[in-house]
Amino acid sequence: MTVPVQPTFRSMIDITSLTVTKRGQTVCQVANATVAQHSTVGVTGPNGSGKSTLLRVLAGIETAFVGECVVDASVTDRVLVHQSPYLFRGTVLSNVEYGLKARSTSKSTRHDQATLWLERFGVAHLARRSVESLSGGEKRRTALARACVLEPKLLLFDEPLADLDPRGVECVVQSLNMLDASTILITSPAPLPADLTQATISLKQD
Amino acid sequence: MIREGILEALQLLLDLDASVIDAASRSLWISIVAVVTATVVGITIGLLLARKRFPGRSLLVLLFRVGMSVPTVLIGLLCYGLLSRRGTLGELELLYTPTAIILGEFFLALPIVTTLTHGAIARLDPRAFETARTLGAGTLQRALTYLREAKLAILLALLTAFSRCFTELGIAMMVGGNITGRTRTLTTATAMETARGEFASGVAMSLILLSISMLVTLAIALLNRETVEPAS
Repeated sequence: MTVPVQPTFRSMIDITSLTVTKRGQTVCQVANATVAQHSTVGVTGPNGSGKSTLLRVLAGIETAFVGECVVDASVTDRVLVHQSPYLFRGTVLSNVEYGLKARSTSKSTRHDQATLWLERFGVAHLARRSVESLSGGEKRRTALARACVLEPKLLLFDEPLADLDPRGVECVVQSLNMLDASTILITSPAPLPADLTQATISLKQD
Repeated sequence: MIREGILEALQLLLDLDASVIDAASRSLWISIVAVVTATVVGITIGLLLARKRFPGRSLLVLLFRVGMSVPTVLIGLLCYGLLSRRGTLGELELLYTPTAIILGEFFLALPIVTTLTHGAIARLDPRAFETARTLGAGTLQRALTYLREAKLAILLALLTAFSRCFTELGIAMMVGGNITGRTRTLTTATAMETARGEFASGVAMSLILLSISMLVTLAIALLNRETVEPAS
C-alpha cells in the first residue's frame, strides 16, 4: 500500500511584527508574512509604504529593525536590484559577468551565462556597449540580467517594470518565469501582471 | 635681464646641457618613486577610512587633511631629524641621498593621496557599495570596484601629489643637500644657480619645471572637467 505523501510547505521568508524606524518615524511595518520557497510574490503599496525598505531588510542591507525576519538563504545568496539600478563603469557584458566573477566562475562559462541572460532580456546586442550610453530601460534590463544570471535562492526586485514599454514588461515577465529555483519578491505601486506572481504582500502607508 | 635669461636658457635646453638634464631626470624619477609608494599606502588607507568604521577614524581623517598643508621645510626638518646621525634611522646613513628625498616626498604625497582617495570613495553613490555587496563581491573585488568607480578622482589625486613633489624645494634641500650628480634636483639647482648669479641656468631649470608642471596641471584640468561633467 502506498501512502500519498503530503507535500511539505517550506518557507523562504518568515516575517513577524517587523518595524523599521528612521529618525523616529516608522518607514516600514509588516505584521506577518510568509513566502514559500520557489514562489514569486508581489509586494504592493503606495509610495512611502516601505516596499523598498522591506527588500533592503530581506537583502540583509538594512539591519536596524524590530521584530523577526527569518530568511532561509545566506546573505550571499540574496540579490537585490534597486529601484534605480546602479551599473558599474564598463560594458554591459562586464556588468552581467560581475557576480559570476565574484563566484569564481570560469571565463568561458561567465561569458556564455551572461550572454544567455542578456538574450533573455533582449539586450544581447548591447553587450559590448558602455553602460553610460544606455537608456533607462536598457539599464534596467542589464541590471535584471546581472541579478538573474546568478540564479540565487532569493531575488529581490524593486519596481523592475518601471521605465519599460509593454514589450519590455513581457520580456521581463518571461525571463523571470524561467527562474524555477529562486524565490522572487517584486515590488510595485500598481498591481503586477497576473502571470508573474502567485501571491501578494500588501503594505499600507502609516 | 629676464629676456636674456630666457634666451640663454633656451640655448642650454637646445644644447641638452648635461647638468640641466641630470637635475631634471633626477627630479622626475624621485617624484615618481615617491608618488608610486605613497599611492600604494595612501589608497589603502583612504579606502579603509572611507569604508570601515573604527574608533579614531574621524581623528585620522582630520590628521591626514591637516597633513596636506604641512610646509615642505617642516617635513624636511622632521626627516632630517629622523635620518641624521643621532636620529632614529641614522644608522641607515640615508641623509643626503636620493632615498632621503624620496622618503620626504613620500610623506608629502601620502596625506594628499589618502585624503583625496578617502573623499572620492566616500562620495561614491551608496548604491555602488550595496550593489557590489549584494552581487557577492569579496573584500578585494569590492575594493577594486570602488577604485575603478572613483578612478578619475583618484588619478587627479595622484597628479596633484606628483605636482607637489616635483615642485617642492624644502625637502630636497634639507635632506638631499643639493650634491652635484647625486641629489641635485631642478628646484635645488634653480635656487643655487640663481644665488650664484647664473641666472640663465636658473631660468632654464625653471622652464623645465614650469613645462612639466603645466603638463600635469593641464591633465588635472582635463580630468576635472570630465569628473564634473560626466559623459551622458
